[in-house]
Parts: sequence; C-alpha cells; structure tokens
Amino acid sequence: MTPVRKALVTLFAALSWALIAPRAHAGVVDDLLKHYTELGAANFSAEAGEAFFDRAVIDAKTGEPRKCTLCHTTDLRRTGKHATTGKVIEPLAPSVNPKRLTDARDIEKWLARNCKWTLGRECTPQEKGDVLVMIRGR
Amino acid sequence: MHVAYPPEDPAQIARRPIRVWDLPTRIFHWLLVAAFVVQWITQDDARLLDYHVFAGYAIGVLLVFRVLWGFLGTRYARFDSFAFSPRQALQHLCAMLAGRHERHLGHNPAGTWSIFGLLALGLATVVTGIATLGGAKQLGPLRGLIGYARGDTFALVHKYLAWSMLVLVALHLLGVLLASRAEHENLVVSMVVGTKSSNGSFGGVPAATPVASVLLVILAIGVWSYFRGYLQARPLQPYLPFTQPALAENAAWTKECGGCHLAYHPSILPARSWTKLLREQHAHFGEDLDLEDESVRRLQGFAAMQSAEAHRTTLAWKVDSTTPSSATPLRVTDTGYWKHRHADLSDADWTRTKRFACDGCHLDAAAGTFLPGAIQVGMQTASPEKVR
Repeated sequence: MTPVRKALVTLFAALSWALIAPRAHAGVVDDLLKHYTELGAANFSAEAGEAFFDRAVIDAKTGEPRKCTLCHTTDLRRTGKHATTGKVIEPLAPSVNPKRLTDARDIEKWLARNCKWTLGRECTPQEKGDVLVMIRGR
Repeated sequence: MHVAYPPEDPAQIARRPIRVWDLPTRIFHWLLVAAFVVQWITQDDARLLDYHVFAGYAIGVLLVFRVLWGFLGTRYARFDSFAFSPRQALQHLCAMLAGRHERHLGHNPAGTWSIFGLLALGLATVVTGIATLGGAKQLGPLRGLIGYARGDTFALVHKYLAWSMLVLVALHLLGVLLASRAEHENLVVSMVVGTKSSNGSFGGVPAATPVASVLLVILAIGVWSYFRGYLQARPLQPYLPFTQPALAENAAWTKECGGCHLAYHPSILPARSWTKLLREQHAHFGEDLDLEDESVRRLQGFAAMQSAEAHRTTLAWKVDSTTPSSATPLRVTDTGYWKHRHADLSDADWTRTKRFACDGCHLDAAAGTFLPGAIQVGMQTASPEKVR
C-alpha cells in the first residue's frame, strides 16, 4: 500500500467511525429513555433537565445547598471539580467528550450515586430522562 | 665601608612557612566538611534524600581516597608520619592540660586518634547508610538483599554512628582551637593554605596537584552522572531521583475508586481497613457508593492481595508494622505513621493541598510507591498529567 492510499484508508475509516459512533451513543440513551418511559415517565425535555440540573436542594445533614452544577459547572463542555475531593471531572458534554453517554451501566451508576448525594434521594425516571436529553444536546 | 645591617630576628628564622598539607589532603578535608554539613541538613527529610545519598557516596569516595593517600601520599599525609600509640596520645593530652604543649608539624599524637576515629566512624556510617537505603527504603545497591525490619535496625546504627562522629568532630575542633592557641598559629588557615611555620629542620612537601585534579575530576563526574536528571526535568515531567518497579494495577479499582478521588493504592492500608470500607460503602465519607456486588467482590480481591500486609512499599511496611492490630484506620491520614511523617508541616502548608489529596505533593501517589525525592510541597492539586 502506498503511503497516500494508506492515509486515504485511514481517513475513510475515521470518517465512517465519526458517522457511526454518535448513533451508537444515541442508542444507549434512547434505550434508557425507553426504559424510563416504561416506568411512567413521558415527554422528556432538555429545558426541564437544565432547570433540574441547576436547582439547589438544602442537604439535611450539613445544611448546605447542593446542586448538580456545583461539581459539573453550568457549562457542560468544560471540566468540573468534585466538591469534596477536588478531583477533576471530565466534561459531560458528548460534543467535547465523546466517551460520555456510551455505557448504560455507567450512566445509571453515576445518576444513582450523584442523585443521592445531591438530593438525598434517588432521581425519578422523569428527572433522569430530562437530564440525559439535556446532556445529549450539549 | 662597613654597612650595619640590623641583626636577623630569630623569630623570623623560626617562622618560615613551609607546605605541610598537600593539595589532595586539603581538598579531602574541606569537601568532607562540606559533605558532613550536607548530611546533617538533609537527614530525615524524604524530599532531600537524593542529596543525602549522594553526599554519603561522596564521603565514601573521599574516605577511601584518604586511606589510600595515607599510604601513598606526601610526608605529613602518610599514616607512618603520625602512627602514634594511644599511650602517646594520652601523654600528649596530659602534657597539654599541664600547659606543656609539644609541637608537631603534622598531626600531633592526640589529633592522630581523632583522624583514625573519624576515618573509621565515617566508613562505618557510609556502609550502614547504604544498608539502611537498601533495607528501609528498598533502594540503592543493596535493594532486595536486606529486609525492611533489618533496614530499620541499620538506620538506628547509622544514626548512632553519625552522632558519635559529631562528638568526635567537636573534640577535633576543640583540639584545633587549643593547639592553635598554644602554637600561636591559626591551624584552620593552615589547612586552607597548606603551610605551617617551621624552624627549618624539615623541608616542605610537594603540592601533588595532579592527584588533587584526578580526585576533583572523579567527584565532578559523580555529581554530573547523579544529578543530570534534574537538567532534563520539565514542569509536567518532574525528575524522580529514585525509582522502583511499578505496583500491580487493577482496572476495576482504578475506575471505581478513581472516579471520585485519587485511586489510593491498596498498599497504603491494612486488609481489614479495605474490608470495612467496602462493607460500609453505602456510607462512604458522606456518599452512598451504590457499588454492585460484583464490583465489591473484585475490589475486595485486589485489596486483599495488595494491602499493606504485603509490604510492597516502605509506606506499606510502616503502616502495617506501626498500626496496632486492634485499630482499623479508614484513612491513611489516621495512621500514626502518616501523622509522624507529616508532623513538620504547618497549617499553611495544607492550604493548597488537602490532607487526603496525596497527589497534591507526592508525584508518584497514583502509582502508590510514595518514593523519597518524588515530593513537591506546595504543588498545585490534582492534574490529569500527573506521573503514573
């Protein structure tokens, strides 16, 4: 294979992956949304997700307000910072961090853990769906 | 015509300076002084251990050279010129205390024994230092040949030898002071410029400059090869003077623990601590981890194999051997060893880095090795480019 042909093949492969990959990710979120619908949620909205994401809830134990944007910031294309440990959190927006929204188990794990810390309870299927739709659009 | 010259001053004749200490002896003496000072400054500071180790090797080279020079050197540097018996040394001391100082152009009988004592103690301190490095830190030429416990014993002996040396240095200085006063000659200056006044019964010695040059070149090559890594260091690629084989990694561990904080290597806490942490995963320092049973099993398995009891690092050995078996610390910062090692840090040092963020100062915290020399106090907190 000549170097030029090799480069063309690589370019073609990269382009096809770029076209296919987002659909694969979309599939993961769509499956989750379908699952949430089966649990009674409906009409997922990015606007509702955005409002939910920035809504402060007073923590019962510490008395401090907690919200998603505390760690993830209001701009999901930027890195965030863990509120207690200070660890850098990679951007949530799939547009800058293509690894996001690609693993259903991961999504469910973080939603469960982070909802409990932020709200003191698990999120409803409606809240989770709204947030996922909002994140997917970023 | 008779010209009257003033008579020669007898004191002038008696006080003709001749070279007593050749150049290699003087260079040896003052480099040994410098290295000895470095050793006391850098002792017990993990951040400066590579300087301590290098100065130790340098002292070893200097002492070996001095022993050889004691056989091959110029007149006053040779052992046979000051081979006095302990009895003669004692007599010299008694005479001196009685106000009858007996002048020697080279080392006097009492000074001789501080020289022999310092040579012997110095060599013993170097050897036990290398043994300490090999055992207690598992670094240097004796790595793997000496266990941690024995290394700690060597460390103790190393310390006592160093203190004995310090006492002998103090006696040596006292002797120099007393002899300087008795002889009306600054013997410290003599060791710098090499000359002492003589009544002319003995000739001076050659400077032996070529030998001194060889000694300096050897030491310069040593400095270059030991410290050149610092010249290649870049802000995000700091130079780590000490290295050790990498510790075992585990994908589940890195992912689950590293998701929220530094993935502390299991070697920093005993197995019982990890068991308790995983059992209490629903109340993990204020968070419910909600880990699946399968994840917990995997994490538990890795922790059990790599916990402090496996003694894979100095930190692991220390945490395991100093934590009472009745205690189950959930944080390494709760262990006595951690507190002991960080006792000299003030609250101001903790403003930029939180105590649990080991990687705020330890460049190899993610790797779990916590090596000496890989520490930068006041470094910015966690960045993804951190050394692994």
